[in-house]
Amino acid sequence: MTLRNVKETGMSKIHCLLAIMILCIILVPVTAYLIGGWYAYWGHVLLAIIFAVLAVFIKTQYYWEED
Amino acid sequence: MTPPLPEAGPETTIGVIAAIAAFLTISILLGFFMRKKAKSFEEWLVGRRDIGPLVTGFALVASYLSGWAIFGNAGLGYAYGWSGSWLIGTTCVAGTALCLVIGYRMRKYVALGVRTVPEMLKVRFESRMVQALAGLAMIILLIVYSVGQYKAMATVWTITTNTPFFGSLLATAILVLVYLIVGGYTGTQWVSCFQGILLTIVGWTLGITALIWAGGPTKIAEAIGMQTFTFHGGEQTSFFLSDYTLPVQSLQDRFAGVDYFGVVAAMFMFLFMATGFPHNIARFLGTRKITKREYWVMLLILIVGGLTPLWIGVVGFAARTVWGDVLMATNPPIYGDSAAVYASMSAGGIPLASLFAASVFAASVATIAGMVMIMATNITRDLIHNAYPKTSPKKLLWLTKLMLIPFIAIPLWWTFTSPPPILSEFMAGSAVAQAGIFFFVVGISMYWKRATKWGAITTIIYGLILTLLNPNAYGKLVGLYHWGYWALLLMFGSALTYFLVSLVTKPLPEEKLKKLFPKRKS
Repeated sequence: MTLRNVKETGMSKIHCLLAIMILCIILVPVTAYLIGGWYAYWGHVLLAIIFAVLAVFIKTQYYWEED
Repeated sequence: MTPPLPEAGPETTIGVIAAIAAFLTISILLGFFMRKKAKSFEEWLVGRRDIGPLVTGFALVASYLSGWAIFGNAGLGYAYGWSGSWLIGTTCVAGTALCLVIGYRMRKYVALGVRTVPEMLKVRFESRMVQALAGLAMIILLIVYSVGQYKAMATVWTITTNTPFFGSLLATAILVLVYLIVGGYTGTQWVSCFQGILLTIVGWTLGITALIWAGGPTKIAEAIGMQTFTFHGGEQTSFFLSDYTLPVQSLQDRFAGVDYFGVVAAMFMFLFMATGFPHNIARFLGTRKITKREYWVMLLILIVGGLTPLWIGVVGFAARTVWGDVLMATNPPIYGDSAAVYASMSAGGIPLASLFAASVFAASVATIAGMVMIMATNITRDLIHNAYPKTSPKKLLWLTKLMLIPFIAIPLWWTFTSPPPILSEFMAGSAVAQAGIFFFVVGISMYWKRATKWGAITTIIYGLILTLLNPNAYGKLVGLYHWGYWALLLMFGSALTYFLVSLVTKPLPEEKLKKLFPKRKS
């Protein structure tokens, strides 16, 4: 694999992860509207945690910086 | 039949005072111990860049969880049912994770002599004007934020010691002063870490205890579904609390859960505000180099700590289940905000009520003290020293001490003359502005080379003008009646201003930017 291919594969993975993160945000009001109650309340937390894990994964995996 | 509200006896009062005294003592001892180890005042403030992930993580939790989260969320859950959850911040973990990802680069600026957020902006944009404006914006927004903290602590003091509310406000101001005099104000990472652990443990314990006390999740969901919204003062409506929106027309100027525009605005507020709070992102100033594994440890801490506000929201739901809407007509001007205090007394007795009082003290009084210090240094360091660099350090120190008085008194007077009925929705006004302005001006500017000082300046000015146009301030004069529209206009208008003005103005030369933007490694 050339360096360019490696970079492109990495970028497409990042885009995929970003899309999941955006989906997590969109699903928050959707679950509130469609499900409601406790499931929505704790479901929002779950979506926020998935968002958080992906954000830190992208940072540590692709955008890690040294001093 | 609705059970009676608990009444505080002398034992409760003694327990509360003892718990607060114990918290104060531990904080002071920690502060003094760390001061002994530090070689200078500045080193004491931000450390020697040797603070690890555990301490930084919990310190971040402490600075994020103010009186709003540890106390006000119960008022939201109690007054609004499920629709209150938007301001309770069910998605706040997403925002704190963004702060973790973005804020770590603050470390870079410490090596360049930076000790505060406005100073960081001076270095980033090579502009004293940006530093001064950021300092000014912080003063305005933090005064509003302090009002909510006063109400939180005064409410706890009122109910647990049977002191009149306005007397409790004075007691809170005195406690702030004591806290400042004995040195707790510096909010060293270690003291903040201790506070973060305390808030997390007490929040989780109280939430789970209240859940069981009210009869479990099913009973709570049934009870909330059957109840209708009651205005503070006791006027009842026919709007059920069973949905995630509460379409009461007269609430649209202050409540995010009134419709899905407000909901979306609240979600973005929580996404941006952890990074936008200057006192939050400043936590990274003392952090040492962190490994990838330690980064994940910090995230775990933020998740555990970030669930605390949700547990406090549960306390509000539980109180609504047990007492119905009784509190909406009780204890003016406290009303529904008293839910957490009564629930802590009923569900956990004196031990939990005392621990909860100490937690609210930790969250609100320490936050007021920290904010008073920030505002005072904004005046001396970011405005006076900025304009007159030759002012002696001794004079600056005296001026800082002198400025503590007005910054304790102004929010005290505000709370005294017009206390907000639901403190969290009031504080959300300041949070939106801090999120809209500083997420971009501070957070994004650390990563976007193309950001310019004019982009930052116009964003701060735009954000401040929109802050004044809050529907509860002057917004109605220009047709802004809806909290959600206002909040979206502030946050996305700030973003648009920041990016557009930056793109049409000249950034710093590349060689100057090199030292601020490290090369990334995969």
